[in-house]
Amino acid sequence: MNLKKKNMVVCILFAVLLFGGFFLCLFLPKPAYSKSERRGLMAMPRLTAENVWSGRFMADFESYAADAFPFRDSFRSLKALTAGGIFFRQDNNGLYVRDDFISTVEYPLNEESLDYAAERFRFICEKYLTDQNKVFLSVIPDKNCFLAEESGHLSLDYEDFEKKMAEKADFAEYISVSDLLEKEDYYRTDTHWRQERIGDVADRLAQAMGTRLTEEYELHTLTEEFYGVYHGQAALPLAPDSLQYMTGEGIDSCTVYDWQNGREIPVYDVSQAGGRDPYEMFLSGSLSLLTIENPEAFTDKKLVLFRDSFGSSIAPLLISGYAKITLADIRYIRPEHLGQFVDFSDCDVLFLYSTLVLNHSETIK
Amino acid sequence: MLFSSISFLYYFLPLTLFFYFAVPGKLKNTVLLLCSIVFYAWGEPKYIFLMGISILLGYGFGLLVEKYRESLLGRSFCAVSVCISLSFLVCFKYTDFFIENFNAVTGLSVPLLRIALPIGISFYTFQIVSYTVDVYRGEAAQKNVIRLAAYIAMFPQLIAGPIVRYADIASQLERREHSFELAAEGIRRFVTGLAKKILIANQLGELCNVFRASQEKSVLFYWLYAFAFGLHVYFDFSGYSDMAIGLGRIFGFRFLENFNYPYISASITEFWRRWHISLGSWFRDYVYIPLGGNRVGKGRQILHILVVWMLTGFWHGAAWNFMIWGLFFAVLLTIEKLWLLERLRKSRVLSHFYTLFFVLVSFVIFNAETLGQAVSDIGGLFGAGGIPLVSAQALYCFRSFAVILAVGMIGATPAVRIIAERIMKKSMGEKILHIAEPVVWILLLLVMTAYLVDGSFNPFLYFRF
Repeated sequence: MNLKKKNMVVCILFAVLLFGGFFLCLFLPKPAYSKSERRGLMAMPRLTAENVWSGRFMADFESYAADAFPFRDSFRSLKALTAGGIFFRQDNNGLYVRDDFISTVEYPLNEESLDYAAERFRFICEKYLTDQNKVFLSVIPDKNCFLAEESGHLSLDYEDFEKKMAEKADFAEYISVSDLLEKEDYYRTDTHWRQERIGDVADRLAQAMGTRLTEEYELHTLTEEFYGVYHGQAALPLAPDSLQYMTGEGIDSCTVYDWQNGREIPVYDVSQAGGRDPYEMFLSGSLSLLTIENPEAFTDKKLVLFRDSFGSSIAPLLISGYAKITLADIRYIRPEHLGQFVDFSDCDVLFLYSTLVLNHSETIK
Repeated sequence: MLFSSISFLYYFLPLTLFFYFAVPGKLKNTVLLLCSIVFYAWGEPKYIFLMGISILLGYGFGLLVEKYRESLLGRSFCAVSVCISLSFLVCFKYTDFFIENFNAVTGLSVPLLRIALPIGISFYTFQIVSYTVDVYRGEAAQKNVIRLAAYIAMFPQLIAGPIVRYADIASQLERREHSFELAAEGIRRFVTGLAKKILIANQLGELCNVFRASQEKSVLFYWLYAFAFGLHVYFDFSGYSDMAIGLGRIFGFRFLENFNYPYISASITEFWRRWHISLGSWFRDYVYIPLGGNRVGKGRQILHILVVWMLTGFWHGAAWNFMIWGLFFAVLLTIEKLWLLERLRKSRVLSHFYTLFFVLVSFVIFNAETLGQAVSDIGGLFGAGGIPLVSAQALYCFRSFAVILAVGMIGATPAVRIIAERIMKKSMGEKILHIAEPVVWILLLLVMTAYLVDGSFNPFLYFRF
């Protein structure tokens, strides 16, 4: 190829890419929602004089242009592969893959965040509890705890994290469960732990809180492929997880009431396994206040479980040790309002939170 | 609008290229002007009128200066034009700085005006000033307002330079060539600039942000930051200049180079001949030489160097750290002029280390938000405050950005160009490069598109000047 021809080829290829991109941007249908990123995509902003004059139209159009770009997910994958494979970046947007497990680089320890969480927990204890209530605290380490050392990524000092949290929440008895966990106890593509692998954690918690779990479990595997929240964020071609859940006679006989929406819900809503976030099949996901009643309980013990989303999958395992468990997610309901719905008398209280929430506790109300 | 955005690459640029090449030659400047207005208004719809007024004043005064060039009136018109242009710059860029300092000195609390800085005002003001002064010095004034407006508002160089002198493109505004050869040259240059910005500068910018947010500072981290920012500012700004020059070439213009591998310099004097060439030459021709240049005594020369570099620093931003940054170079340039330059020639290696060290330190001052932070950052480079030598986060960042830093360091030298030229000299190498080159440009564009789709809004560093 001579120089003249090469120049023509460069010009033509450049024009094809630019004009091709332009026409695709213009005419390809635009999805309103990104399943992989689990978020709504920016719609074309309204072209009005006011929007243009204020600059809002242009600012929104920039977001729209990136969100509505054709083959967005493929381009995001290309970026992730380039960052890792060519530039050898240790993480892409804070995520990394080790042994097919995706994790965030949870770092550094945010002491102020721990203070804030402990202060909110203390507020609940002082407002609602008496000496009759036994209070417990347990911290669930995130996946980075089990991957970072091998892969050379930054990670929290988890022992120090637990120690600090236990000291700050000195009104609660601390139950450590981190020694029972390993990376395989978590979904490869998601933040959460796998219900079928945390029976020992549930036993440890129950035992420490003075009850025992009596359920005989049956394992169920869903046919739907489970692409966890990290899968979409990482934009890497990784295999999906499988979603399993445990049932038993006790769990089957439980009734769950969703106070947020005023309705009864199932313990496992398998219809959600094919939805936006399959993990929401456990107690229907992010709900502010639930009660699980166990009519076949051998005890009249009651538990109030302050929890994040990790609590959704472990609560069904704990129910055989209680007549009633109330699950409160104070990221969605202000603790000041809890008294209207929750009777704390004769209850044990467990604050069960992952390091991910405690280290970013600004989400707690 | 940013060159490194989806809206520019896949909406604005195709439409502009289509209209530009679809219209006959006579209308090309008009199309370029209209597209430049849209480009500017995209970021600053309200300030389009300010730029319009500046252009019209420049046009009117240009004609008046030409008409009365031989008389005192011509000189007066030139002075008035320069004063008006600079007053706009001072008013929009420096008012709050002056008020803040007035308040600090007098103890009063005059409220700040908080005027938003019109994008690119520092660049187009300098172009208008150079135009009027050039006309006063004998250049023919532009009679066609569209051509003059197209020159000042031309979108490739409007908001972050290079500062294009009217004299350099006056003839091209009237008549210019378009060809596949020029366009291909422009495309290569544009894509190179885009890659510098998106693939290197933006990633190094991430490292700088991580450093700034970190509570785990160490000596290693400070040096990592200094290197990263030094490369970041180079790839960001030279990348923009490459894109501007490349786009200019597609439209048939030849803008002068703005960077020439500054990090291979063996002295600060050489560095400033290679860094932001258009700004350095502007200050030389419109401030230093009119003040007397090298024709005056040593004492006056030193004074003029101080003035020019204080202004250079101040041009970069209305803050003391920019002024200190400028004066820092003034001191180094004076020392070199009086004594050091001769000695530096004796050891090439040492002179490179010396230059690199002071340039990196200068950029640490440049990027500080306050003078206090500048002092603390420079102290950090030498372990002040009892900080540890290394920290876990510094080591992690070093590992994570090692390839980018290495690419940046190699890319800041002419090594790649020299290797490519050597390969081209061999017949087989030439054949391979001929075939591979178009593929590489397209792949690069696709990868950069992927970064833009995945990334967030990322303005150029020099937009704030």
